Order: sequence, then structure tokens, then C-alpha cells
Amino acid sequence: MLILRAGDRDYKATVHTDGTVSIDDGSPIPLRATGAGLVRVGSGSGQQAWVAASGSTRWVFLNGEVFELDAQDARRRRPAATAHAALVAPMPATVVRVDVAPGATVRKGDTLLILEAMKMELPIRAPADGVVRAVLCRARDLVKPGVPLVEME
Amino acid sequence: MTLRRVLVANRGEIALRIIRACRERGIESVAVYSDADVGAAHVTAADASVRIGPAPPRDSYLSIPAILEAARGSGADAVHPGYGFLSENAAFARACEAAGFIFIGPPADVIERMGSKIAARALMIAAGVPVVPGRTPEDQTDAGIAAAANEVGYPVLVKASAGGGGKGMRTVRGASDAPALIAAARREAVAAFGDGTLYVERLIERPRHVEIQIFCDAFGHVVHLFERECSVQRRHQKVIEESPSPALTADLRARMGDAAVAAARAAGYRNAGTVEFLLHGDGESAPFYFLEMNTRLQVEHPVTEAVTGVDLVQAQLTVAAGGALPWRQNELRQRGHAIELRIYAEDPGAGFLPQAGPLLLYREPRGPGVRVDSGVREGDRIPIEYDPLLAKLTVLAETRPQAIDRASAALRDFPVLGIRTNIPFLLRILAHPAFQAGHVDTGFIDAHLSTLLGGAEVPQEAVAVAAAAAGDAGAERGPGGLSRSPSPWTALSGWGR
Repeated sequence: MLILRAGDRDYKATVHTDGTVSIDDGSPIPLRATGAGLVRVGSGSGQQAWVAASGSTRWVFLNGEVFELDAQDARRRRPAATAHAALVAPMPATVVRVDVAPGATVRKGDTLLILEAMKMELPIRAPADGVVRAVLCRARDLVKPGVPLVEME
Repeated sequence: MTLRRVLVANRGEIALRIIRACRERGIESVAVYSDADVGAAHVTAADASVRIGPAPPRDSYLSIPAILEAARGSGADAVHPGYGFLSENAAFARACEAAGFIFIGPPADVIERMGSKIAARALMIAAGVPVVPGRTPEDQTDAGIAAAANEVGYPVLVKASAGGGGKGMRTVRGASDAPALIAAARREAVAAFGDGTLYVERLIERPRHVEIQIFCDAFGHVVHLFERECSVQRRHQKVIEESPSPALTADLRARMGDAAVAAARAAGYRNAGTVEFLLHGDGESAPFYFLEMNTRLQVEHPVTEAVTGVDLVQAQLTVAAGGALPWRQNELRQRGHAIELRIYAEDPGAGFLPQAGPLLLYREPRGPGVRVDSGVREGDRIPIEYDPLLAKLTVLAETRPQAIDRASAALRDFPVLGIRTNIPFLLRILAHPAFQAGHVDTGFIDAHLSTLLGGAEVPQEAVAVAAAAAGDAGAERGPGGLSRSPSPWTALSGWGR
């Protein structure tokens, strides 16, 4: 059995030996691979879907919508998030300016720092009221996606 | 004079568009590339290619010395700037001409005049073309800009005087917001254009953005090729363009066309250009104002090509080589309805944040009336340094409703996986009742954002596909996520082409 996570919702998937898949113990859904990354899903001629994988992420394109699901083995679940929130870079970017120092009290929505990517400025704002525990970047730093920028509590 | 070898001073889809146009008429093409674009589609398509520098634009695609050096070294006789980058940089056009290269665009002094919002406005006022109230203060300090905003009257737009494409532009609704927003506009202006001069203009609330394509040759022929409706925008950048505009009557179209021709004549224009207007309200007597003139080929030029049947890039090459315009005004017609959708690597749910990363799967749609201009291929990695435009999908059909249906079907057949794109977002715009009724203005996306972002619901079918492709959670595997370990998936018929 597999767990597929989309946002904060988990789906339980069972892949049967005949190639059908059941979601959350629902009725089996027929699937037929028809080319590289191309799948027919559903009974009859079904709908066309495209799928690609990167790490544990599964990308699915179905009827013009895109779904990103994280595939996890049911026996190896991820730990829950901790109380200390680290604000991370959403994409590769350059730090333009840092507006806060450790110990600063901030209100939800305050700008903590400004990133620049693809010639656009992207303000990083406080997700909630709190105190800045640590500032982990400086102006002109190049940051990669997922790199913590500011720690708050 | 004949063009033999053209250096294309750009990247991505527009570089490919120009390279193909050159090939059709036996002109050799030279691509340039930065370190982020080694092996990119435009580089492999050209007859020759030259590295011009590191990934940051100012060291490569914005470097006049590097591009001129590439032109000299490759034996080019002309330079096509595309759009963006150096396309509206008068110093670049002048440097090309001084070095003996034909610049495929208007003369440098025309770019300079129209690139300066002050000079362009003065020229338009003199030519009798209506303009929006505004000014560029001599006092260019932040306080000077704020004072100018007070005089023009809030709400105002603060814009980069050298700019375009929405970069270095901010809406300021009152004096209290002014200091932070002026500073941000200035930083973006310096970063994008190397010039922090700012311009302040009265904000016309929720106008339509309607532009007229014009074309001029060196023999005094000036024509317009009708309008493009470009009102669907996010962050002041166009997302969907169409022709004809659902807002124009025949009479209003004729008057705007005449105004655009008058603007082009006043500017002493040559080659392809666009006169942008704001159209305020609906109906025969809706006022329109000159916004700016784009002294280059536009991103959305395929819309005009679709409804008029002309090839604007071929005409650019003809006129640059000293030839006459291939068409007269009375030979030009608008036929059918065309819609262009810009496919951006961005996340609409995160404030349209640009996305970078690998294109694990990328398949373009095809079919009658479907055109895709793209600069990427499956397996490419989208770099962070440049504009997030991946492709342009342009459809042509007999009527607007049929064009919307054709565009929707093509988008559903345009899977892009590995990075987030705006394809689902575009589909929701096309399906929106206000868009279908033609009730669009530049505030459309902001006004309907929550509806357009869609829900988080994942259909069971999508989860099933993901589960079947999952097998075990392994490394990057690209299309299909096919793993080598035995799984029910590998047993499915027809897999693994």
C-alpha cells in the first residue's frame, strides 16, 4: 500500500496485480500505459493523463489540471512539523535586503526580507505574529529553494 | 542590399522564431548564449552560435560589447534584437549602426524618443493623439516623485521611465504608501534597465489595454494591422491577447488605427512597432489614451499574424534590407478570431512566483489552427535568470467562442510536468463567464483571483495514476517515473517506448 499526499490530505492507494488501482478502498480504477509518460485512466476509452516522477514527487496532468503528490511508503511516514518555523526560499533567488534582526518582534504580514528572482522582487512576510530567532542569510546572498532564511517562533 | 547573416541577440522562443524566418529566405543565423543556455533550443537551431558570457543578463544578453563582439566575430551583417533585453535600447541600436551592422528595428533616435516617456508624450500631444495626465519630475529624489504624485492626483502609477513589461512599476493609492513603493520601483528600474528615472501618471481605473500593430518602411508607407486586446494581465504583464478586441466597433477600430498611424508618422517610425492605448469604458464613444509605443516586435505578434495572414518577421527582414512594405492598407483584412495564451513557468497560487527547474515532461499540442512558439524541450532545465515565458499557444478559429473552445482543448493537450505553470489557471480564465462575455479589463485577474486559482481537490483518477507510476519512491526518472524494479506498472501493455 502507498500513501500519496497532496497538500495536507493523504490518499491510500492499493495497486492490484491486474493493473487497476483503488483509492481509499474505493472501486478499482483501470489504467493503461500508452506511451512514454502517457496513460489512459478509467473504464472504456477513459481519459488521457500524463505522469512524471522526481524523487518521491509524482506529477500528474489530467484534463488540464496538474497534481503534485508525494508518494510515501505506508511504513515510513514523515514526522510532523515542529513548532519552530523556518521560512525557506521558495525558489533560487538573490537576497536584496534583510529588514529584521534576531530578537525582533514582528506582526503577521510584516516584510522580513526581499528576494529577487527573474527580475521580480518577492517580499518574504511573517506568516504569524512572533519573534525572529535567527537570520540565516545576508543581502546579496544567492539562495537555493528550501534553504532556511529566517527562523521564527 | 541583401542580408546574408543575421545575429539574433536574444534567447528562447523569440530567438527560434527569428532563426526560422531567416532560414526560410536563405539567410544564415547566428545565436548567442550565456552559460545558463549552453545547448538550449535556440543555440542548436541556429547555423552558428557564440557564447557571450555568464548567466546574469547584464553580463550576457544585456552586454552591448559582448554582443557586438559576437556579431563581428561571426561575420554577421545585421542584428535582430527580438523583444526584451536590448531591443529598446537606443545605445545598442546606435552601436550596431556605428559598427556597420543593420539593426533590424527602427532608427536609434526613434527608439530614444519613444523610449523617453516625456519626449513620446510631447510628440503625441503635438500630433493630436490623446494622452493620460502625468509627468516626469525634474526632481528625481523619492520626495520629488512623491510630490509629483500629489500634483497628478492619486491613484497614480509610478513607472521606470526607461521601462516596459511592467518591471519597475507600482500602483500608489495614497501618500502614506508612497515612500516604500517609490523605493521598490526605483530598485527594480535600476536592476532591469540600469536607469532609475521614474515617471508618474494618473491611474485610469480598470481600463482595457488595446494596442495597434503598425509597420513602416523607408519610403513613407505606414500601415496598421488592426488591434490586439491585451487586457488580461497579472502584475502588469500580459497573459492572454486576442484579435479582434471584443470591445471595438468598426468605427472605434478605424479611429484607433488612424491615431496609431498618426503616432507612427509623428515618430518618423520604420519597421514593426506597436502603439499601446488605454481604452476607458465601453461603447462607440469610449475615450482612448496613448500609453506608449513599443519600438520592436511584440511577444504577442502571432495574434496579428493569425488574423491578417501576414508574416511580421519576414516583413521586418524585408524592410531592414531596404525593401518596401509588402502590403498596402487596403489589402489588409482581419479574418476570424485569434487568441494567444502565454505559458509561464510560475505558480499562480503563490503570487505568480516564477518557477525554475527541470521539464520532466513537456508535450506541445497540435492540430488545425493551433500554433506553438516555444524555446524549450522536454528534459531542459528552466534557469532562474530570465523571463519565465516557456511558450506561446496561439489559436485561430472562425469566431471568438470557437477560438475559446479551440484554445481550451489545446491547453488540455499541453502537459508540462516538473515545474509549475499557469496552464490550469489559463483554462479557468477561458471558462470564466466574464471572459467568455468579453468583459475584460486590466483588473480582471485581480478581481476574479479566488475563482481562478481553483480548489485543492484531487480526483481519484489522478491519485491512481500517481500511485501506479510510484512503484517505489526513487530518484529522478522523468516521464512516467518508470522504475526498473518489477511492479504491476511495468507489466502494463504499451509502456516504455
